[in-house]
Amino acid sequence: MKITGYAITLYEFPLNRRMGDANSPSGRIRGASNVLELFTDEGITGISFGGGGAGPQIKSMVEGMLIGEDPRRVTGLWKRMVDRAFKAGHDGVVNDAIAVLDVALWDIKAKANNEPLWKTLGGSNPKVHAYASGLDSPLSDDGIEDWYGMMATDWGFKGGKLKVGLDQDADLRRIGRMKKGLERATDKPILYIDANEVWNPKMAIRKVREMEEQFDIAWVEEPARRWDFLGLRRISDQIKAPVCAGENLDSLGDFLPYFHNRSADVVQVSHGMTGITCALQLADAAYGFELPITLGGSPGNMNAQLAPCIPNFLTLEAQNAEPDDGVMTSDIKIVDGWAICGDQPGTGVSFDAEALAKQKVQTVTASAGPSPFGRRPGAGLWDNPPSKEEAAAAATGVTGEHYVPAHGSKTQ
Amino acid sequence: MKITGYRLEKFTQQLDRAIGDSNFPAGDDLMDMAILWIDTDEGISGIAPAGNDAVASLFHVIEGKDPRGVVGLWKDMVDWVHKGNNEGAVNGAIAAIDVALWDLKAKIADEPLWQTLGAREPRAKAYASDIGYNLSDDELHTFYTRMADVGVDGGKIKIGLNMKDDLRRIGIMNDAFKKVKDRPYLMIDTNEYWSPKQAIRYINQIEQHFDIFWAEEPARRWDYDGLRQVSRNVSAAVASGENLNDVGQMYPLISQQAIDVANVGFGHSGITGARQVANMCYAYEIPVTMMNCSANFMAPLAAALPNHNMMEVVDPGREGAFESWDNHIEDGWIVMGNKPGLGIEVSEKKLKALQAVEFGRKPGFPFPRREGAGLWIKDIEPGEVSWK
Repeated sequence: MKITGYAITLYEFPLNRRMGDANSPSGRIRGASNVLELFTDEGITGISFGGGGAGPQIKSMVEGMLIGEDPRRVTGLWKRMVDRAFKAGHDGVVNDAIAVLDVALWDIKAKANNEPLWKTLGGSNPKVHAYASGLDSPLSDDGIEDWYGMMATDWGFKGGKLKVGLDQDADLRRIGRMKKGLERATDKPILYIDANEVWNPKMAIRKVREMEEQFDIAWVEEPARRWDFLGLRRISDQIKAPVCAGENLDSLGDFLPYFHNRSADVVQVSHGMTGITCALQLADAAYGFELPITLGGSPGNMNAQLAPCIPNFLTLEAQNAEPDDGVMTSDIKIVDGWAICGDQPGTGVSFDAEALAKQKVQTVTASAGPSPFGRRPGAGLWDNPPSKEEAAAAATGVTGEHYVPAHGSKTQ
Repeated sequence: MKITGYRLEKFTQQLDRAIGDSNFPAGDDLMDMAILWIDTDEGISGIAPAGNDAVASLFHVIEGKDPRGVVGLWKDMVDWVHKGNNEGAVNGAIAAIDVALWDLKAKIADEPLWQTLGAREPRAKAYASDIGYNLSDDELHTFYTRMADVGVDGGKIKIGLNMKDDLRRIGIMNDAFKKVKDRPYLMIDTNEYWSPKQAIRYINQIEQHFDIFWAEEPARRWDYDGLRQVSRNVSAAVASGENLNDVGQMYPLISQQAIDVANVGFGHSGITGARQVANMCYAYEIPVTMMNCSANFMAPLAAALPNHNMMEVVDPGREGAFESWDNHIEDGWIVMGNKPGLGIEVSEKKLKALQAVEFGRKPGFPFPRREGAGLWIKDIEPGEVSWK
């Protein structure tokens, strides 16, 4: 089997709820993605989602390194791509390109075996523990309880992750509302919180310790900067909750300081980390160091395919129970709070060609693109709660206006 | 597809030559061996050139399961043995089952195992390993020359009992590889016979004469402080890990930076466990070297690992029960073919013949620890080896 070519198609879609975090409390109402198709001479096409900003890098990798190669030799091809990117490192858009190509290669490998990816990877049980993740900073208090309540009632989720960090009193209140929502499915909800690097270590310690007087927190995610292995370790030493980190790192090398200093108690990985190949290397390494793995949010909850072969797997982030972009289809079903991988060959995540043609765009608009907000002013320095304008925009919901505050504004 | 049964055949094989190390320099040419088959309801069987009676106590864990779920089944087995831990005979059984399941997985996909594991090229760089304290100078020269003739550019030699002998014999190895490489890779292996300070004294002496690529097991397998101490006081890399069983046992060696090269292999609870160890080392920028094994059956994994440097080849003739195996050494690399799975074909006829032989004695391998180990050097005694 040989790789013959590829196609990429950018598309946009409206979000089913306003989504944001500590860096973007006014939230966003549109999203964008990219379908990569990797073609072979045997009619099997590898499909993966993402890498929308990495068009030139994907082109160069496919045309320079992959065409003519057997896609089933994915680990070796991964190594070649990573070695090719040596000098500048496999970071940024190059990393996005390798990651999205690696997923497509694994999709082909599983399809060539006519089996779902979880089985190709050696998994024996397709039932994957999952939690609901609201990306919920723009939601009102009632909106929080409603959304987690819906996820508990309709889909059986018993754990949730709340975006926190800008306003301690609001956070204390909102953790309680998430808990109340989840209590529709269980009397012992699992409560995670995520600060998306908006605190410094001592801010994190003060705030989390206060939260822990009222709530049993199952982890606090990114309570300090991604590279601050000393700060993350300090936080872990001074709070009860595990520190979860890693989603903004790219490669095994990035994790070495975490492993060596036990900076993270829970290691977050996803296929966005230089692909499935690297995610599984990370999982093995974390297993050796007795650190549990959590899989991050992914299109169609595709990351669930990795979980069955990870011996130290903890739980999977589900931002939606089903694909919500009108384009994607997924064979991964949420049942009673578990993500169940199906039997469809490959990753189980594909697309509706007609819908894709309708939603296709030539270039992604800024408001739908990655990170229109950037890092929030004051992050790691002072408290910067949502402004009146941000709160007003957030309150307009999914049909309202897209609002990005001007950067550098002191009142922000 | 479901796992329906297994078959374990044990036998003793006479090797082409005796093997010996610092713990048992006289060496022995008998070895207990086994072959494990795992059968499925679709008529395909996976094999492992390994196994022991503990398979019987574990089989219920995988019975009726889909063999393609090998990594999940590995976890189920490891969890099953939780209290006594994944060690000893149980570890050997889990490893054998794991290899047979990987063989099955590749056969089901109708592809060689190296491709199932994702390798791009069907090859792994080789180095020659004598396990031959018993070999005379001439025999040593013949062995390394045979390997140099197929392009192998480095070797490992068993040493540790007499500095004069050791230096001479390292020189013989060095000379044999000169035709391939001006500065061949020279590795020395003492199989835990030395204490850390003995290792530091002796390796420094050796390094005045030779550029040593790595020194293997210069202290006890678990002595991460000692191994680290050796590494900080010699130029050569310190290699260890072959006598440990899993990632948990490797943890201190890696986190304490006690080793510079990790020996990985079947003994790390199979292909699944060895890959975990390799990935753990990859995070710490530690290269791995694959342990020797019959028919080089771990070479498919070596080919797929991003941080594998070279694989140990001993080739003492452990393949007596096989009809064929699908690799050969070419230009210094173990080159694998395209036969599905491990590429090993067992000969029932040869197996039966081997099982019929009565040797009337127990094999000397695995070797016991030699007197004086870690304390004083017990030199080779007159008559202990043919060459002294």
